[in-house]
Amino acid sequence: MRPFRSLSARLTFQFALLFAAAMLGVSAALSSFIAGAASREVEGQLQSSGAVYDRLWQQRAHELQNAAQLLARDFGFRAAVASGDQATMQSALGNAAARLKVRTAFIVTADGRVSSVDASTSGREAAALWDPLDEGRLTGVSVLAGRPRQLVAAPIMAPTLIGWVVFAADLDAREMRGLERLSAIPLHAAVIAYDKGRWSEASGSMSALDSQSASRAQSHVGTAFEMKVGGERSIALAKPLPTFADGQRAILLLAYPKAQAMADARKLQLALGLMTLLGLLLVAFATWKAAGRITQPLARLDEAAGRLASGEHVQVRVRGEDELARLASSFNEMVGKIAEREQRITQLAFNDTLTGLPNRTMFQQQLDHLFRASQGNGSLFALHCLDLDQFKVINDTLGHPAGDALLVEAARRVSQAARGQFVARLGGDEFVVLQTVGEDRNAIDRLGREILETMAKPLNVDGNEFVPSTSIGIAIAPQDGEDGGTLLRNADLALYRAKEAGRGTYAFFEESLNERAQERRQVEADLRLALERGELELFYQPLFDLEQNEICSFEALLRWRHPTRGLVSPVEFVPIAEDTGLIVPIGAWVIREACARAARWPANIRVAVNVSAVQFHRGALHETILRALADSGLSADRLEVEITESIFLDGGDTTLRLLHALRALGVRIALDDFGTGYSSLSYLQSFPFDKLKIDRSFIQNLLTRDGASAIVHAITELANALGIETTAEGVEETAQLMELRAHGCSSVQGFLFAEPMSGSDVDRLFREDPDAAVQNVA
Amino acid sequence: MVRGIPVFAAGFVLAAPLAAAPLAVRVVDGAGRPVRDAVVTLHPSGAAARPARAGGHFVVAQRNLQFQPFLTIVPVGADVSFPNLDPTKHHVYSFSPAKKFELKLFAKDQSRTVHFDKAGIVALGCNIHDQMSAFIVVTDSQWTARTNGQGMAVFADAPNAPARLTVWHPYLRAPGGELQQALGAAQRSASFQVRLRPPPPAMAMQDY
Repeated sequence: MRPFRSLSARLTFQFALLFAAAMLGVSAALSSFIAGAASREVEGQLQSSGAVYDRLWQQRAHELQNAAQLLARDFGFRAAVASGDQATMQSALGNAAARLKVRTAFIVTADGRVSSVDASTSGREAAALWDPLDEGRLTGVSVLAGRPRQLVAAPIMAPTLIGWVVFAADLDAREMRGLERLSAIPLHAAVIAYDKGRWSEASGSMSALDSQSASRAQSHVGTAFEMKVGGERSIALAKPLPTFADGQRAILLLAYPKAQAMADARKLQLALGLMTLLGLLLVAFATWKAAGRITQPLARLDEAAGRLASGEHVQVRVRGEDELARLASSFNEMVGKIAEREQRITQLAFNDTLTGLPNRTMFQQQLDHLFRASQGNGSLFALHCLDLDQFKVINDTLGHPAGDALLVEAARRVSQAARGQFVARLGGDEFVVLQTVGEDRNAIDRLGREILETMAKPLNVDGNEFVPSTSIGIAIAPQDGEDGGTLLRNADLALYRAKEAGRGTYAFFEESLNERAQERRQVEADLRLALERGELELFYQPLFDLEQNEICSFEALLRWRHPTRGLVSPVEFVPIAEDTGLIVPIGAWVIREACARAARWPANIRVAVNVSAVQFHRGALHETILRALADSGLSADRLEVEITESIFLDGGDTTLRLLHALRALGVRIALDDFGTGYSSLSYLQSFPFDKLKIDRSFIQNLLTRDGASAIVHAITELANALGIETTAEGVEETAQLMELRAHGCSSVQGFLFAEPMSGSDVDRLFREDPDAAVQNVA
Repeated sequence: MVRGIPVFAAGFVLAAPLAAAPLAVRVVDGAGRPVRDAVVTLHPSGAAARPARAGGHFVVAQRNLQFQPFLTIVPVGADVSFPNLDPTKHHVYSFSPAKKFELKLFAKDQSRTVHFDKAGIVALGCNIHDQMSAFIVVTDSQWTARTNGQGMAVFADAPNAPARLTVWHPYLRAPGGELQQALGAAQRSASFQVRLRPPPPAMAMQDY
């Protein structure tokens, strides 16, 4: 079947087809029944006409027989026949025939002679009747002079049988008309007879009858059949009539033109056909309507689904409570949920879940949008990059929930300060504000200050009161960046600068920052290659023990001999190494190199190595030191690890465990740059350092500033009390040395005694005279 | 019932010539059943022919609206009287060529006599009572006999000569009611197969 594009068309077609089949079936059955009933009725009428004819036939036969018998018993007639009185015989016979309106009558004598009143009947034909007459046949149809006739005979007894009186009544049109008039239906009647190999007919009403249809009629004796009569299709009934002689056949043929017979049935069939057609139209119409009722909601759903697919949030009307209504409700519900989910996805995609602020993605879009909007109209906008100064400390010391609380509060405060501007959180403690400026550049400063002030209000997190501080880097578009990426990078550089400048402040991007950044990137790139190229080397600065008056230790100092820049200061590259993590392999190399060098020195000489916080936290320091000691064969107590307080800022317990583990090896631990930074005395309590190195700033001011001497004294006193050695760094003058001796400092280090020297110089020093150096100094 | 025929037949036998031998004639119907009361007549050719003894008196009475007897064989020249023994009138007639007559016997015990001078079959009827029927066979041959219950008629002294054999029966279906066959000189037996039509309905056949 051809596929339908519409459900309703298919339903209509299929149902209409089904109904049509059923109706046509019923209609055909009815029609056939009607035709059958009509046929049966006609047949019945034909049969009853046949019966009427039978009765007529009998009556006629009876009448003729009575007359024949009457004549045959007349004594005079018998006497005439017996005596062969032809004249008397003929006149008596003619008289009776005239009375009966029979044209043909004759006498057949017992010895076979024939005496006829009608010249048309040949003696031979009449003589042929002798046998049936002799057999006792007295009535029947026989063909005489080529036409079937009803023969009736009566024996003439005188007193024995001397012959028969025979009357032959015509079965002609007149007779048949009589029969036709008696019938209830307008039928044609005819008698046909078969004799001597041919059919003959008595009446003219079926003159078209041929021998073929006659024999056909003969084969359908007793039942109705169809045949053509006078060129007209007719329903016919053939009724056998008794014949006079054996070997003859006679049939009464009754025919009823079919068109006439079936006229009423045809009318009924036509009406039935029209009603069927009307019914079909009604069914098709009703099915179409019903299908429409079913498919209309489906079509609406179909259309709604199409619109939903194209992103529209549509609702379909729900009518009723059937399955389609439930489907529509479900559809509406689904649309609602899809909308909800889309909103949620959008939120997830563009918003930070913790603070509810727009996220980096949305910020990028906003930034791009601003760039496009400001193009050509000369308007400015500023990008503020914010960074919470203590976020890391709070997150580490008070835990993530506290850190999160700080972030949420910070977000609230930034949003408050930057009302009307776009605020986003890029991740961690990084926030940005996009400020549309117009002409007034001072507005940028004002917003920066306002943010700093708002953020600097005291805050209570988990019962810990503190004052958050923020650094802000500001880049202004379009001058500081033609695109979002550049602008953001430059704002970041400005933020670094703000942090460098001392935190809690804001800084604008300048082109120099960019140059510095580029240089830094170059250094970083070179530094990656420095180690493998062997550009790094160690210098050693001796430390003098003030009690023994001899060199007691060397501090290993890292130098980078850059192929084009020459010697690069550790101040320049160590922070970069720390930032990039290169400090880990470099630091490990330093430890190995220092240990290997020190192992060649006299056994009372130690080597001190600076270890960065980065190394401490992710450098596998314990393993590195173990390996270095094992490889070099240096005794652990000749290795001194110098750390700064910064290692305590991250790590906590982990740091302490590592320090204890190193101490357990026998490695000495020195606290470097003591007195600057936090200088928390709690560190001294929590870990038993072997040495404090007093920062060079105190030594430089030792003689010029009043408080410095007291501080140095306090430190040495404290250290002595705790049993910790002290080393003064940066000693350059003899007066300083004297002062430090007075304070009871354990050892000193500085240009006054020796500048840092190469490893080979140290070797040479010990090779020439191990004691010389000591004595020299002393 | 009058039974004159066996007596009459015995008379023929006594008059048989010397050059003779018995001839048996058998008459059967279409189904092979014997036909009784068929009249068989032998007409030898030429000098062998011998007429029946002429004359004699016979009676065919009318009693109980019937002729009695039904079949009577008489020689040429015989007289037959027809006494009316019924209280009703009878109108006895014959249209037979052998003897045509009409007897109006209108009173009881009235009797008329008819002289039969010509050989042939005489069918008797009553114009008043159609059912009354009787036959008189007037024969001119000495050898005339009726068949018995076995359908047999035997001529003890049939001459040894070619002959014509005729069989007649009241209901025999043949023109004239009789059949003939030629008989060879030495032929001592003959048979006829005849077709009989049923007797008229009111006829009391058991009476003859």
